[in-house]
Amino acid sequence: MTRRNGFTDETLEWRSWIEPLQLADATPLQLDVLDESHAQSRTSPYYLTLAHQPSMLRHRSAAYNAIMYAPGGLPRAERELGAMVVSVTNGCVYCTSVHAQRFEQLAKRSDTVEQVFDDPASAGTTERERAIATFAIAVTRRPQALGANDIAPLRAVGMNDEEIIDLLHAVAIFAWANRLMQNLGEPEGESEADRAQAARGA
Amino acid sequence: MPTPLDAIDVIDQAAGLAPGDPLHGARRVRAKVVEASQASHDALLLQPVDGLSPADRLRVAAHVCTLAAAASLEQHYADRLADAPDCDAPSSPALPAMLTFAAKLTTDPRLGDRAAIEPLRRAGLGDAAIVALAQLIAFLSYQLRVVAGLKAMRASRGDAP
Repeated sequence: MTRRNGFTDETLEWRSWIEPLQLADATPLQLDVLDESHAQSRTSPYYLTLAHQPSMLRHRSAAYNAIMYAPGGLPRAERELGAMVVSVTNGCVYCTSVHAQRFEQLAKRSDTVEQVFDDPASAGTTERERAIATFAIAVTRRPQALGANDIAPLRAVGMNDEEIIDLLHAVAIFAWANRLMQNLGEPEGESEADRAQAARGA
Repeated sequence: MPTPLDAIDVIDQAAGLAPGDPLHGARRVRAKVVEASQASHDALLLQPVDGLSPADRLRVAAHVCTLAAAASLEQHYADRLADAPDCDAPSSPALPAMLTFAAKLTTDPRLGDRAAIEPLRRAGLGDAAIVALAQLIAFLSYQLRVVAGLKAMRASRGDAP
């Protein structure tokens, strides 16, 4: 278990500030979209909240699942690293917990997770991980100032255009995911102190 | 609906990519992402939502792009607004609350706490409209970053304008 600066890799629950859809009231379209989105979405307050707009959720889930799970291209652990760095930078404690776990499962180690929780700007066990973390922070904090200097370190660690696009997608989709998690609800049991620490830390 | 390989979507247009460009082709390696990004754009702007007109959604989108200094996307949403059938109808009385909410989420998602959605409710937005608005604003944060990243990739290849 890794717990630092208000972030954790333990499993958290999330509660919505919007009344989630009741399954008994769901239309066939809403049920189809829930089932396409995630294996547990019929019992997830997050997916049941987003299911108020089923066609918007359908296309969001298609994008998310293709970005995070499609085979080939950038290794999945590196997509999860990008997602985790963005989530810490944005102070999204819930997303951070999920994607720290996924990184640990895929990479079979947790050293990088500890480094990201401590300071994403210097995190990374290898040069390639440091390049990924640096790029994820730049895309999150200063998208309009991105330039060739932000791409060069990714090419220097061996990434081709297809892998860089995979990383860009993974980092950008967490600009989307963090905002939904942070603005429609909150992690259950997150204390004010944890939240303040996570907000300051990143 | 499959996207023809020679098509240009909103992200290509804003990033200055045309068929035949290496990056236009590299994006199509992830055809599902290309299709779902464009389909999200279309659904978020056009899907009927009680209390959230397409014109007001385009106003929110243009405002988000202004705040984020995403000039080419701002132009896209401004052009779409000028062509929208309801562009001359008065905006909703809830628009100021929507723009305030959009500004908070766009500049720093940590600013969006439980209190931030109360003004939307007071302005008359229901749960489904609040979900649609939050999805739109969050999507724009994604879209403008993909466009900015592709532009940086073009610059790094030496084929930027």
